[in-house]
Amino acid sequence: MSSPSLTLPSQERPAARRRLLEILGALAIAATYVYLVLNQPADITGGPGSASALIALTGFLAGAVLLIVAVLPTLPASTLVLIPVALVLNIVLGQFVGSTLVPFYLDAIGTVLIAVLAGPAAGAATGALGSIVWSFFNPTVLPFAAGAALIGCLAGLAARYGLFRRFYLAPVAGFVTGIIAGVVSAPVAAFVYGGTSGVATGAIVSAFRAMGDTLLAAITKQALISDPMDKAIVFTIVAILVYALPRRARQQFPFIRRYRVLAGNGKAADTQAGAAVEDTAQGTAHGSARNG
Amino acid sequence: MTASSAGRTGQPARRERLNPLTSLAAAAATAAITTAAGSWQLSLTVIAACLGLSVAGGTSRRVLPAAAAVLVPFALSLLVLHGLFFPEGRTVLAEWGPARITAEGLHFAGQRILQLAAVVLALLLFSFSVSVPDLVAALSARGVQGRFAFVLASTLTLLPAIAGRARRIRQAQESRGLVISRNLVSRVGAFRLQAVPLVLSLIEDAGTRAAALEARGLGNSGPRTSYREVPDSGQQRTARAVLVLAALAAVVLRVVQPGA
Repeated sequence: MSSPSLTLPSQERPAARRRLLEILGALAIAATYVYLVLNQPADITGGPGSASALIALTGFLAGAVLLIVAVLPTLPASTLVLIPVALVLNIVLGQFVGSTLVPFYLDAIGTVLIAVLAGPAAGAATGALGSIVWSFFNPTVLPFAAGAALIGCLAGLAARYGLFRRFYLAPVAGFVTGIIAGVVSAPVAAFVYGGTSGVATGAIVSAFRAMGDTLLAAITKQALISDPMDKAIVFTIVAILVYALPRRARQQFPFIRRYRVLAGNGKAADTQAGAAVEDTAQGTAHGSARNG
Repeated sequence: MTASSAGRTGQPARRERLNPLTSLAAAAATAAITTAAGSWQLSLTVIAACLGLSVAGGTSRRVLPAAAAVLVPFALSLLVLHGLFFPEGRTVLAEWGPARITAEGLHFAGQRILQLAAVVLALLLFSFSVSVPDLVAALSARGVQGRFAFVLASTLTLLPAIAGRARRIRQAQESRGLVISRNLVSRVGAFRLQAVPLVLSLIEDAGTRAAALEARGLGNSGPRTSYREVPDSGQQRTARAVLVLAALAAVVLRVVQPGA
């Protein structure tokens, strides 16, 4: 919030220790990935590969938990309150897309939204926490916590360096994020599950397997096909949502004010953007009414 | 929606005596040991035990649909993937063009499906039988950040509320003439007409809630007092320690000798 808290200032933990935890978390994720990629060929055909599965689970989960422990205490209340909202948005908007049969999963809208509004640290924490909370209903998403944290962090960095100021740059940032996130998540799918969760993605993996690829290579290629498109769409949706927010709602976030995340901070530019958004909204409304 | 009911429902009285951390340790240890063992006999045993427990605990009507929703697409995908295309397979059972059904592929897929089913059932059995307020209280008593507990509890309670609000927004837009047709453009437009008001109202709400929570000292550190008593006993503490040690031992054994 813009107004300072009226309660006494709390004793914060030393920043150095938090920084250390953050670095340890990132290192755990990176080391696990490197180990899995280097050790894969012998293991996956040699048996059920549960040693790699355990290493993937332990390393990625430990990294995600370290990141949460490091970041969560530093978030202001206005961001903390948004995290549950983002998690629910991930689920509700994801379900909406599922029910309208668009061929993407779009399950990171809330995470990316938080990252754009409140920064990379908040985005990473939201991604990791989201996987942990969602695993109460679907335990299979738990090992993807590290990938989700990475998506949140990269989205926040993109926002910080001004990629959301130009509308056409948002999908590009999403595309790049999708490539990185897909490559990092592929070993989880390969070693922990031995495949992918969806029948459609499974078909793509099968095609690469039929050409004689190893399982990890096939799943990585599948991720490189699906994930960048998916994240480009998610980033575009988030850009639309953020620009549709009233100025008062978005300017309450210090991250947006400090790094000038969005275009049109000047008053005139803002009203113009608002008017443009209104116009498109009217246009779509008329469009869909006519279609019906 | 099966998901929304997990956080709210009460428990059978008998289960109240079990500390949520004990059941969490049991579920996590079961998952770790099953993955580490990688034997289909153990996986089958765990599946049977979980099914039995969920029927006995009265949660089977919620656990089973949730588990099926997760496992059926996974199983289909794995069967197609490894059943038809497993270049490493030697024993060919049938062949059409590039697709070969191999014994090794089917074996690999079957083993993975059983292992996954055991892990998913064990964890779902925990999450659908635990009382979320108890879990939150137990976690904060252990010194776990009140913030994590807040996020967990808040998400589980917001989920049905926000799903309801999304439904009302759709109804409102439909009453204004919104028709979702097969056309992709109209679908995108419909998505926008529903998502923008939803996100807007949620962020407004969150701002108000943040002010209220801040005024009540959410950001402060220091010890918190919980009015909720979570049952615990020496036996359960020992059981938790044993479970965690067993899981660790299984993981270490498996990693140290991957060939075993």
